[in-house]
Amino acid sequence: MNTPRIVITATGAVCSSGRNPRDILAGVRAGASTIARIQQWDVTGWPTTTAGEIANFNAREMVDDRKLHKLIRRTDLLGLYAAGRAIDDAGLATHRDTLAPDAAAIYSDRTGVYVGSGSGNFENQYDYFPLLATAKGSLPEFGRELANTVNPMWLLRSLPNNVLGHIGIKYGLKGSNACITSHSCSGALAVIEGMEALRNGEADRVVAVGHDAPIEPQMVLYYYRLGLIASETLRPFDAARDGSVFGEGAGALVLETERSATERHASILGEVLGGGYVSEATGLLAINDDGDGLARAIAAALADAKLDARDVGMIVAHANGTRASDASEAAAIRRVFGNDAPPVTGFKWAFGHLIAAAGILEATVALAALAEGVVPGVATLRELDPDCAGVPISAKPQAPRSKVAMILCRGFGGTDAALLVRAA
Amino acid sequence: MTSAITVRKRVAITGLGLVTPVGNDVATTWNAVLHGKSGGAPIRSFDASGFPVHIAAEVKNFDALAQIGDRKLLKLTNRSHRFALAAAEQALRDAGIRPTDADATRWGCTLGAGMMGVDFSDLAGTQVHSAAEGELHADLLLTDGPANDPLAFCRSNCAAGLSLITRHHGIRGFASAEHTACASGGQALGRALKLIRRGAADYVLAGGFDSMISPVGIAGFCLLSALSPDNDTPERASRPFDVSRNGFLLGEGAGFLVLEEWGAARKRGAHIYAELAGDGNSLSSYRITDSPPDGDGPIQAMRQALWSAGATPADIDYLNAHGTSTGMNDRSESAATKAVFGDDVRRLSVSSTKSTMGHLIAAAGAVEVAVCALAIRDGLMPINANLREVDPDCDLNFVRDTPRRQRVRMAMSNSFGFGGSNSCIVLRHPDETDALVAKEQG
Repeated sequence: MNTPRIVITATGAVCSSGRNPRDILAGVRAGASTIARIQQWDVTGWPTTTAGEIANFNAREMVDDRKLHKLIRRTDLLGLYAAGRAIDDAGLATHRDTLAPDAAAIYSDRTGVYVGSGSGNFENQYDYFPLLATAKGSLPEFGRELANTVNPMWLLRSLPNNVLGHIGIKYGLKGSNACITSHSCSGALAVIEGMEALRNGEADRVVAVGHDAPIEPQMVLYYYRLGLIASETLRPFDAARDGSVFGEGAGALVLETERSATERHASILGEVLGGGYVSEATGLLAINDDGDGLARAIAAALADAKLDARDVGMIVAHANGTRASDASEAAAIRRVFGNDAPPVTGFKWAFGHLIAAAGILEATVALAALAEGVVPGVATLRELDPDCAGVPISAKPQAPRSKVAMILCRGFGGTDAALLVRAA
Repeated sequence: MTSAITVRKRVAITGLGLVTPVGNDVATTWNAVLHGKSGGAPIRSFDASGFPVHIAAEVKNFDALAQIGDRKLLKLTNRSHRFALAAAEQALRDAGIRPTDADATRWGCTLGAGMMGVDFSDLAGTQVHSAAEGELHADLLLTDGPANDPLAFCRSNCAAGLSLITRHHGIRGFASAEHTACASGGQALGRALKLIRRGAADYVLAGGFDSMISPVGIAGFCLLSALSPDNDTPERASRPFDVSRNGFLLGEGAGFLVLEEWGAARKRGAHIYAELAGDGNSLSSYRITDSPPDGDGPIQAMRQALWSAGATPADIDYLNAHGTSTGMNDRSESAATKAVFGDDVRRLSVSSTKSTMGHLIAAAGAVEVAVCALAIRDGLMPINANLREVDPDCDLNFVRDTPRRQRVRMAMSNSFGFGGSNSCIVLRHPDETDALVAKEQG
């Protein structure tokens, strides 16, 4: 069976470094980090104080419809923003307006939505704190006072699949869909499963979006206690690296079969060539030192895309700055590419780790970098860790050796994803 | 569109595992579901007497250690994870096959996982310490017990269930968790089907698990007025398609299936319950909590599942309806069923086993697909319990009062979720599949 080409006709992104992939790339290329002191709560006295927060966050700028704000959370605002920019840029809804009613209905049914979601946060549960304070440990009292104290829409605000549902309603999209809640691989997996839905004929075009907003006190504290958060600066593959830093945001891609894009005369930014996704079966937090899972994900992605390792022009590594992940990521790159790895970079040093949104946002920035013919440098890298030897990563910009980028992504549960895209 | 099956691999269901409000294994659950023995009762796991609704369908007398056997592992679990681990173990045992070092990378795991949940005792502990007056003081979190306990974090993480199952069973291939509310379990099974079809896995342990029967979970549904308030008659509270229905009965539990490529399953002489034959999913894009009265949304999912299975409405003998017992869902689903099945709707046997088990949310789809597999195996269709007077808007051919004995060539299972995701799964009798395979090989 011939696999149809899956093309990318629009991207959208938002994080602390900008509100579209090109602006985010410009910050990365300039060596500018937007990781700064956390503003959402007073971090005086906290053992860790920095993150890539979106400055001057304004819900209206993310989602115009004020009525919706009561029904969704910060992470959903980000997801709807990135998806909306991509859908508008692709002209998905405006194209439907040109169709006859029957054709428009089919078009809606054949347009899918694939979401990677951070799944949940702690702050939403705090909506029950006033009730708990009132009830003073009495559950019957908690039950009786419930309706007087808690927002009746609490459960709907908490749904992990809000972005999926609200994109569907706003744009009238009714096709095949998913909401992946697999931690940091969620966004990358939304792209992979969206691509597969196009390959197998379930849909003709899909919006893939990943979103997350993990910067909240209890989340930061847990990651800190687990030894995953940097004291200040995220330095991937550096000998002195000491952890990751949270960011927040969303990335989105509009994917179409080549036929759908041609029929609507859409401009083509690139294509998704393939993906690989595996588990290391190591539990929630552990990873294999030898890069086992990630190496298998890379090999699976190359096989899926029918590419050789030497076809890859640049690697956007997961590069989250933790001791264990970067060292095993380097091992995985060595295993697959030997001493012939393409230029490697990473983006999290500039705007933080977007968890569920990480892989998909980085894919949109990778496409922008390929379009500009550059592998951006990692400005916080000072001295490559000997454990990460063989990874051609640099503080200075490099030249990609082809138009193909491989984006790597790793999440809790020992999950590893590799995604291959080509710029037009 | 060409038929999907001519170019794709087929998938066999070779193992089942169930932990439900009506039984902690497959046999007990199946017997209760067949005859409509309700799992509804007053809530026992916490004092719900002050809540507007204080009934639910709880899992009862569940011994996690006896079922799972790993005391250390249990420390990392919340209630829903224990259901998942038990049902997964049952399914693997039933299938008589497990991941080995040699084939672990060919095993996948796809899960419909419940919403992230903080254990209520942890939430209450944090309130007392860090939000005594009701407002969080972030600086107090630094000395808060649960907020500094890595185990509390591990239990609450969205990837917790997935990581427990993949590590416990050594599954090293594709492993994903997903959440589309009540459609989660169905969509996870659809993903498993697609993984095997596209060659990304040879075996998949697939399922769903959930438990929202906690003060916060019950509260969330009470605030939406989604639950039946029939506190005095819990066993009658869930009555899908009845004219007097007034909301759903919240359940909990897990359902798991072992799926294998058909030829390989036949070759190893596995018992095959059914072919997992087709998957369809769609978005209603109408309201977050409802499908429209005309069935738009569910209709597309059901048609896509038929297409995916290479089947027509005339091939389907049994529909396990989503049937939540809410006013709008049951009407919308009835309209969709009539639209899809046309004249065949008179012949199609329908029941919602939520009438017995309640609504297992993210686990519902997986549990109900397992029920369909059992209906095919036994040629018996379970009843739609508590159906006294059928809503005139829902005049389908319901299985009432006693199980219906009839060979089931194909069965269909619907799951529609908050947020508008609709999932439809189609199963085929193994003899029918063997005949198709023989014809294809000509």
